[in-house]
Amino acid sequence: MSIVRDLAAVAKGMSVTFGEIFQPTEVENYPDGPGPFRGAKFEERYRGRHVLQRDENGLEKCVACFLCAAACPSNCIHIEAAENTAEQRISSAERYAKVYNIDYNRCIFCGYCVEACPTDAITHGHGFELSSLNTTSLVMRKEDLLAPMPDSPAKLESSTQ
Amino acid sequence: MADVTLTVDGKTITAPAGTLLLEACRKVGIEIPAFCYYPGLSLQAACRMCLVRIEKMPKLQTACTTQVTEGMIVATDTDEIHQARKAMLELVLANHPLDCPVCDAGGECELQDMTFKYGAGGSQFVEIKNHREEQQWSPVVFFDRPRCILCYRCVRVCNEGMDVAALGIQQRNSGSVIAPNDQTQLDCEQCGMCIDICPVGALTSDTYRYKTRPWEMTHVGTICTHCGDGCKTTLGVRRSDDGMQIVRGDNRDKSGLNGEFLCVKGRYAFDFANNEERLTQPLVRQPNGEFAPVTWEDAIKIVAQKFRVARDDRGGASIGVIGSTRNTNEEAYLLQKVARSAFGTNNIDHHRTTDYVALTRALAGKKHRMASIADAGSAPAIFVLGNDPTEQHPLLAWNLRTNVRHNSARIYLANHRDIKLQRQAKSSIQIPADGYAAFARFLGGEENSVFGEDAKALRDALRNEPSLLIVFGSELRGSAIDALAEFGLSLPDTKFACLGDYVNSRGAADMGLYPDLLPGYVPIEQEGGLRAEYGGRMSQQAGLDVAQMFEAAARNELAVLYVVGDDPAERLGVDADALRNTFVVVQDMFMTATAKLADVVLPTSNLYEKSGTVTNTFGDLQLVKKAADRAGVRSDLELIVRIADTMGEDVHALVPFGKGVRADMGQSRGVQSGEADRHGIWLAAHNLEPKLSPFDPNAVLDEIQRLVPGYNFDRMELLAGTSQHVDADGSGVMEISRFANRPDGAMPSADTLFTSGTLGHYSEKLNEVETFQAKKSMVAAD
Amino acid sequence: MPRLVSHPDEVKVVSRRFGRGATNIDRYIELDGYKAVRQAIEKGPEWIIAEMKASNLRGRGGAGFPTGMKWSFVPKQSEKPKYVLVNGDESEPGTCKDHLIFLHDPHAVIEGCIVAGLAVGAKTGFIYLRGEYRYLLTIMEKAIADAYAKGFLGKGIFGSNFDFEIISQTGAGAYEVGEESALMESLEGKRGIPRIRPPFPAVVGLYGGPTVINNAETIASVSHILNMGGEAYAKIGSNRNGGTRLFCISGHAERPGVYELPMGYNLKKMIYEVAGGVRGGRQLKAVVPGGSSTPVLLPSEIDIGMDFDQVGKAGSMLGSGGVVVLDETVCMVEFALRTIQFYQHESCGWCIPCREGTDWLKKTLTRFHAGGGEAKDIDHIQYLAENMLGRTFCPLGDAAAMPTIAFVKKFRQEFEDHLNGKPCPYAKQQELTLA
Repeated sequence: MSIVRDLAAVAKGMSVTFGEIFQPTEVENYPDGPGPFRGAKFEERYRGRHVLQRDENGLEKCVACFLCAAACPSNCIHIEAAENTAEQRISSAERYAKVYNIDYNRCIFCGYCVEACPTDAITHGHGFELSSLNTTSLVMRKEDLLAPMPDSPAKLESSTQ
Repeated sequence: MADVTLTVDGKTITAPAGTLLLEACRKVGIEIPAFCYYPGLSLQAACRMCLVRIEKMPKLQTACTTQVTEGMIVATDTDEIHQARKAMLELVLANHPLDCPVCDAGGECELQDMTFKYGAGGSQFVEIKNHREEQQWSPVVFFDRPRCILCYRCVRVCNEGMDVAALGIQQRNSGSVIAPNDQTQLDCEQCGMCIDICPVGALTSDTYRYKTRPWEMTHVGTICTHCGDGCKTTLGVRRSDDGMQIVRGDNRDKSGLNGEFLCVKGRYAFDFANNEERLTQPLVRQPNGEFAPVTWEDAIKIVAQKFRVARDDRGGASIGVIGSTRNTNEEAYLLQKVARSAFGTNNIDHHRTTDYVALTRALAGKKHRMASIADAGSAPAIFVLGNDPTEQHPLLAWNLRTNVRHNSARIYLANHRDIKLQRQAKSSIQIPADGYAAFARFLGGEENSVFGEDAKALRDALRNEPSLLIVFGSELRGSAIDALAEFGLSLPDTKFACLGDYVNSRGAADMGLYPDLLPGYVPIEQEGGLRAEYGGRMSQQAGLDVAQMFEAAARNELAVLYVVGDDPAERLGVDADALRNTFVVVQDMFMTATAKLADVVLPTSNLYEKSGTVTNTFGDLQLVKKAADRAGVRSDLELIVRIADTMGEDVHALVPFGKGVRADMGQSRGVQSGEADRHGIWLAAHNLEPKLSPFDPNAVLDEIQRLVPGYNFDRMELLAGTSQHVDADGSGVMEISRFANRPDGAMPSADTLFTSGTLGHYSEKLNEVETFQAKKSMVAAD
Repeated sequence: MPRLVSHPDEVKVVSRRFGRGATNIDRYIELDGYKAVRQAIEKGPEWIIAEMKASNLRGRGGAGFPTGMKWSFVPKQSEKPKYVLVNGDESEPGTCKDHLIFLHDPHAVIEGCIVAGLAVGAKTGFIYLRGEYRYLLTIMEKAIADAYAKGFLGKGIFGSNFDFEIISQTGAGAYEVGEESALMESLEGKRGIPRIRPPFPAVVGLYGGPTVINNAETIASVSHILNMGGEAYAKIGSNRNGGTRLFCISGHAERPGVYELPMGYNLKKMIYEVAGGVRGGRQLKAVVPGGSSTPVLLPSEIDIGMDFDQVGKAGSMLGSGGVVVLDETVCMVEFALRTIQFYQHESCGWCIPCREGTDWLKKTLTRFHAGGGEAKDIDHIQYLAENMLGRTFCPLGDAAAMPTIAFVKKFRQEFEDHLNGKPCPYAKQQELTLA
């Protein structure tokens, strides 16, 4: 009697298995999918690696106000400010960030920096592949975080990042 | 004046009649906001933030101009007042650019604070704001015109406080704008008071603008290293690649003896510390004549060995020691202690800029005759003989001007030049440049045909002053000071002050950096006292002064010359050849003229990078707090201790640390933490208690307090940040007539507002300002 | 020289020498000139002040402060010299009376100035002319020179042992300097901004000395009052408002001009009879009763006597006597804008509410009139003006705020008519009627 019950249970389980075999695949095809994220998909509000935005003229939006650093609970943002000159204009205000480092060893992706930013310069991108065997490589510099120039060929790639 | 009672917001308060309502309210904790009101400056009533409702008055009244009267009933906390404040802020902000994220004042802006507190978060205005380009007015002052809220504080402080009147107002209506009276540039003393007093970020300083934000810095109130007035400057420091870097100097906390004031040097001339030429490695001269960097251990070993050999083989008298006027009291004291007790020499001196010894001698045994710099701001009458305080003692000049403005003080001047302070003087006479001593005797009653009727009138006026402060410059020395003191002491109530040039000129003198005087101006021959403390190696023979040391070196009689933070070669024009047989050790920040002649150069920290105390030329003792730090350099205190230690001296005897004085929890070393670890390792290796360090200046201060006459001040008050007046009244000085004809050896530095001895050479900003000023005066002369 | 107007209802006191060649000193003496001052020297300061008090003369500059009382405030003893100051900085739009006094009767100002000096014990008088009246300075200076030549000024005037000097000066063209303490600053050679009060000028004024400062018309009335007697002068006017006043009627009146009428004269009568009614027989839209800073009156509100108290009761002010008549073609928004443009231009920039308030009122009204207005702007304009009212350093802010509030309150419909996108619905109507 118990054999019959056991077989029935196996059959019931296998019916799910065989039923699903012929359904279309619904998992994300990471890391073998197409695109820069290799198939990973995100909610719009996902908080990944930061992106420092540029304005419509290609100038950096960041004016080095240090508010992100002040808001940061894990103290992972380091900024050094400098003044724009007539010859070399980096941002649209008087000041720009000469150095802008985020230490991803410490960042907890809370998004306070994004909220604090008065110029919408710092945003969370969707970059998530932040593991490394070398912690020093996790201190990202401004060059690593900055959105590419609007007309540069890398535009397409970055817009999704 | 009699007190009156009034009611504010239902609270009964009492204030002296004639008090401004705003002040009366603030005293009892009722805040009334104001932009244009500033204590000590003329009333303005322009910002209309302080409007209050006073019963029986048809309109709202400005609390900043209303004097309290008996029975007045005031409301400051009603809907009407809230609405008025909010509306006023809306109007101020209407043309304000709101560029807080980039503005230098963001985070310490009165307009921000008030907007947060009193509302006006939104605006109904949709039109374009008035905009004007930013201007540069001088190498140090920038003006961002749209940010200006026209409170006129800068104009008033320049006009009334500084008596410079470089700023004014142009145009009218919403086009009103603050502008330099001299076209587009500031024709002024570059003091930067306008920047400090600006409630918003309209006036910015070149050294700080757009560099960082207020909350990113640590703010350390310490004493300015330049002139002898000893102003407190608040240094904003920030971490950098090689330590802690000074980014800004200002007068943020206003708690020092300088009150509101800070001059160009205290504000901008900190940049010598960041100079690229700064030495950061010990250098030892190699056989080929070139310097080569060595480790600290090696350098100290070489120095200690040379010192010991010289002492043991050729005697203590073959060692010469020159101290600094810019080191702390602790370092000066320890240096002479090491020289006398460890090296066994009295060949110790410093750059004397005036004759403190003569004044101390003249006032020996008289209590409370030495003035504090605060007295210059409160004495009813002041007689300034010689010196140009505006150039050489800016704080003294400020105090005198303020005293005239607020208390109608009477200022008398006698000088051989035309000095700016004449504008405040009640009477002012010109005397010959070589006539100061004669004038001092003339005051005492000796008739002299050189001095005419005006001088007699001045003398009569001084004689009729019931209470007088006499301030004299280094033009008077030796017996001239005796004559002046005799005259002063014949008046009913007189205090004296002697003007020396550098931040711790007075401290160096008080701490006994003299070949013939011990700390507190005690003659070297005097028995007891320090002799018992310093042990048997101490000589009773007076040593050599700076000039004699170089002469001795030229005669081959000086084996070792140890120069701590001074540049005698530059000052005296010493020939390199004179030192060929002398082993010269120089502790300095830069490769100075003396360092170039040295065999070992040890890079040291400056006053902004150490803790301790300094005494200004008036005898006001103040605490120095460590603000900045530079990798690779050591403080003079540490180096003196380590050299003595390596020589085999007992460190415990030199620095009485660990005798239950206090544990150094790192406070005295300021903001930087790595140093504590470094000390900890060294101390542990020497079987010493890591928390009690011989590098703790407080341990030395204990001994100073115990042993130096006049330095029995209140330690708690000092630690709390209040300056302590030390009255080196010569009470310990007896038999002092011996040095009545003692040469004073003073070489006044003749610094101006824009120079500062050796340090001035290395301050780029100060040099830039000096060039700018020189160019301006050349244009003016054309 | 502008043509003089006249009307049978006029009572000529101040203007009695207008057009009769009184700039000539001999002619002036013929016309009873310098009689009052001789009498004043004889009878002394107490008598002068008593007569002035009896005359109920109130300051003609706009505030209406009783002149006799003002003079009696000056301390008898003073360490610093006392001064008499004649405020001829007549800048209020719609006002042109002092201009005629300087033009036709400069000696009356000099005589009044000497009498004021005698009353308060001052030895120096200043006559301060508006910067734009520079061309009147030649007349004034000649009159002063003539008076000196006759011994009426200088040491021992009129053979007495009194000394009196008069100095004339022009401004640099700022409305603000019409304010008494700003005028003193200007006269001292500084930027023309008002001073903090107290202390009042009667105690600490020009160069720190006690100072009497009066409007030119007030000073010009003085000799007439002493000649006719204070009480006789008081009788001409209405209750507590003695004498006559020069009313400057301008705008869309049939016969605009300066008329001297008794205080308390009916405004409606003034417009419809004295000035001949509204030009072209058009409808009256509004009246500004006392210069541009006074709140506007509707046609229904003008049946009042023109003295300080009655106009005040009607919600406006007698001000400087500049009556501006506005007919039906006027766009009140444009008129408000024009008024604010003036005050924005003339604001001295000293205090926040006036400096910023006038600037933003101008900006907002400019946009509003050009058709860019929104419904909330109307309330915002009123809010702005209300926040200036009574909160500024000096009365200039009030002068800008008061009429603005009145325009919005009384002509709100016209403001709303500007809202439907079209720039100024009244422009077309104006063009038609002016064509």
